[in-house]
Amino acid sequence: MHGLFKWSSKWWPGVVPLAVLWAMAAWTSTAPLEADLAARSSSVLKGTVLDKTRIDVSGRDVTFAADAFSEDGRSSAVGSVETVPGVRLVNDESRLVPEAKPFVWSAERDVAKVTLGGNSPLPASKAKLVEAARASVGGVEVVDQMHLARGAPPRFDSAALLLLDQIGKLKDGKLTISDTKVSLSGMARDLGGREAIAAALQNLPEDFSIAANEIKAPPYVFQAYKDPVTMSLTLTGYVPDNKVHAAIATAAGRKFFSQKMVDNLKASIGAPWGFVSAVVPALGALSRLSTGTLVVTDREVKISGDALYEAAMAQIRAGLAKDFPQGWQLKAELSVKPAAAPVDPTVCQQLLSELLEKGQIRFEPGRAAIDPDSAGLLDRLVETTLRCPTAKIEIAGHTDADGEDAFNQALSEKRAQAVADYLVKAGLSADRFAAIGYGSSQPVATNDTDEGKAQNRRIDFLVR
Amino acid sequence: MSFLVAFHWGWLLASVLLGLAMGWIAVVHRGPGVSKLMSRWLSVLTLALLVCSVTRVIPGRPGYWLDLALLMFAIYLFGCAIGSWLRDWVISRSMRPG
Repeated sequence: MHGLFKWSSKWWPGVVPLAVLWAMAAWTSTAPLEADLAARSSSVLKGTVLDKTRIDVSGRDVTFAADAFSEDGRSSAVGSVETVPGVRLVNDESRLVPEAKPFVWSAERDVAKVTLGGNSPLPASKAKLVEAARASVGGVEVVDQMHLARGAPPRFDSAALLLLDQIGKLKDGKLTISDTKVSLSGMARDLGGREAIAAALQNLPEDFSIAANEIKAPPYVFQAYKDPVTMSLTLTGYVPDNKVHAAIATAAGRKFFSQKMVDNLKASIGAPWGFVSAVVPALGALSRLSTGTLVVTDREVKISGDALYEAAMAQIRAGLAKDFPQGWQLKAELSVKPAAAPVDPTVCQQLLSELLEKGQIRFEPGRAAIDPDSAGLLDRLVETTLRCPTAKIEIAGHTDADGEDAFNQALSEKRAQAVADYLVKAGLSADRFAAIGYGSSQPVATNDTDEGKAQNRRIDFLVR
Repeated sequence: MSFLVAFHWGWLLASVLLGLAMGWIAVVHRGPGVSKLMSRWLSVLTLALLVCSVTRVIPGRPGYWLDLALLMFAIYLFGCAIGSWLRDWVISRSMRPG
């Protein structure tokens, strides 16, 4: 042992090369050592939920900065870095992400993009929400402006995902969750979208409630265009269901006796209350116009076009004002079609016969009251009669052979008179018309079939 | 420590070989040694550095370099001791009357 002390005093010259070795070791190993420690520290943190993780290694000291979502998570992350072999010291610069109060999340949609904003609880939910938004809106750009924060209510993710499912049904608008209160505003993309969103909101997780649902439905539009050139009636827009569709098509068929119908109607929910009671009289008014457009937007009806003669315009206005359901608005922009050139009585007879071949004047069954659906045809007859102002006209009423002759005779007279009265009300002179009833004495078809009977029940105009 | 040994085994091997060589030579070296006072001062210095290392007061890279220096120095001293002891053993064997 004594020898060792003696020899040790001679060991110092080796310190010089040792120092050189040390300098070389320090020079070459520092950077690889730091890289190695950084890699292993990062890998132990892989399973921990952190945000903005930063690891700086200087020598064997690790500076660990991160935003953690719970105190437990934070301390366990620091603990795992400390246990990495080779780490000498951990400078803990981690912190908890701030707590949001109230915890507000929003998704806003406009024409070009969807913006997700507000707070999101964890990086995983943030990614999930962005993904869900992309899936919901297809090719539309999704902008992520969410900040991570603590304090999300339980089941926040399911509530937010449910709302994101609805964003595809919006044209524009904003969905917001504030703690457990859900608010919605904006405009639905399609008719029925508002109702579909309201139905989906029934599935919101427990504890969540709807503070405000101000989603508006797009306007419910129904349009009809009467084109005198192509002799067509074009129907476009929406009707509540197939039953109403059929009813409107039937009514239009009767009112527009000679028009070809182009039916492009689609069934959709969301019709305003009283839709049928407003549309059917409005179609009746349109049938009396020479050319015209009917636009029903929600509860506003706009009808524009040319009436066939002066008195018709006033009658149409008065009729619409009377027939309309409450709460509906009517805008009638009517004018009178310029009078057509006069014709001689022979042409007049021809025109009247043509009209009556295309359509028949209808009456209420067994009575002499004119069916309102025949107003369009009658207006045409008035217009034609106005073109031969000097001609005297016999209005002949006929019935089928059903019932007693005396009744049929009286009915045919009354019906002929009703038509004459209509013409007089239209402004024609009463002494031009002779209303005569023939009962069932002049059939034009057999009375053995329903079809034949229908042909026999008629009004003829004879120019004298 | 085991991490440092595993990471720097090449440099440590060089240190121990250097120590063995120095220890081998020291037994028969005739030159001047370190004075007692000097060696005491050097021991105090080493102790101070050791304390610094154990208490981890020097941060970052200098702290790592100090650890590395102390480890290499310790291994060097171990090599020296083994080298001197071996040389002494070889000499004493050859000095024996045979």
